Amino acid sequence: MDLISIVQQVESSSVGEWMRTSVKAMPVVESIHVMAVAVVFGTILIVDGRLLGLLDKRRPYGLVSSELLSWTWAAFAVAAVTGLLMFAANATTYYVNTPFRLKMLALVGAGLNMAVFQLFTGRHAPEWEHATSAPLGGRIAAGLSLAIWTSVIFLGRWIGFTKGYDFEIPEDVELDFDFFEISFNCLQGPAAELLARFA
Amino acid sequence: MLEFAEWLQATPFSVAIQAAGWAIPLIQSIHILMIGVVFVSILMIVLRVLEMVRVEQTFGEVWGRFAPWIWSGLVVMTLTGALLVIAEPVREFTSLSFWLKMGLIVVGILATVAFRRALAPAALTRHHEFEFTAAAKVGAVATLGVWLAIIFLGRAIAYDVEVWGPLSLSAGLR
Repeated sequence: MDLISIVQQVESSSVGEWMRTSVKAMPVVESIHVMAVAVVFGTILIVDGRLLGLLDKRRPYGLVSSELLSWTWAAFAVAAVTGLLMFAANATTYYVNTPFRLKMLALVGAGLNMAVFQLFTGRHAPEWEHATSAPLGGRIAAGLSLAIWTSVIFLGRWIGFTKGYDFEIPEDVELDFDFFEISFNCLQGPAAELLARFA
Repeated sequence: MLEFAEWLQATPFSVAIQAAGWAIPLIQSIHILMIGVVFVSILMIVLRVLEMVRVEQTFGEVWGRFAPWIWSGLVVMTLTGALLVIAEPVREFTSLSFWLKMGLIVVGILATVAFRRALAPAALTRHHEFEFTAAAKVGAVATLGVWLAIIFLGRAIAYDVEVWGPLSLSAGLR
């Protein structure tokens, strides 16, 4: 099964249907997403600030990170679930949306950055955790992490301003996004050409 | 009020923000980054009251560490929020969520300051031998609840009719 058919199934699922039709679902889910994102970003800022030697210099790194880690992960899980719910509402349009794709790429980047940090610098934390700042590798990881998470938030907000699609609609074409629910493949005419360009 | 909003929306500054397609998403993103800074700072103070983080530090130290982030974050949010209001005054002023949010921000700030002032001096300086009363813990969690409600209302501005139905101030306008 290819990715696009999975995306289509997500959109035509009962969850996707509920997100589209329920009047209050979208505002509630979006607000919870913002709350979760706020906790993810705020807690990561504290840990990265410690690695960079800008904040909590006298607290051992291990203590700073361990007491926040469960909050970061719990909030990330909530953000992922609420994000998936929003995605399900218009999955096929998000799938071809450039800011959405860039945001997913940034999230992968954040994960890789974290993995590399844990694999190298983080593994030796007991050796440097009382120092004012982390070794160069840790400071680079912290700087990258702040840049990536900031861009995740910018890209996330940007998606909302592209209405799920990000291509110019020619004047003679009337796009009705409900057609995605019927079938991706039975599209004809300019709409199919437009979509083919971005799929 | 609607007349004022329409006048504001027609001012050159408002028109300039609206015309630059990137401006509103950019301002909103900075606003959200600051929500992260302010909310987590309040969360850390509340978790210290609940003795879940930074137990080796006094409450005074934890307050001193996070309060400047709360106040400077709120200043940035006031500025970015003001720009968003100038850009789309009709949308904001005809939203019940907007007015509830403004009211709750005052409540949230007063609650945060009142919480700090109500504490006995010993709460600020003592370590393990000091335990917060159940009332203080409930008050801290309630303050956090107010800030969560503020975040909800912020997002709900975009969905006034959906959230409030006939209570929405823009219900009759659409």
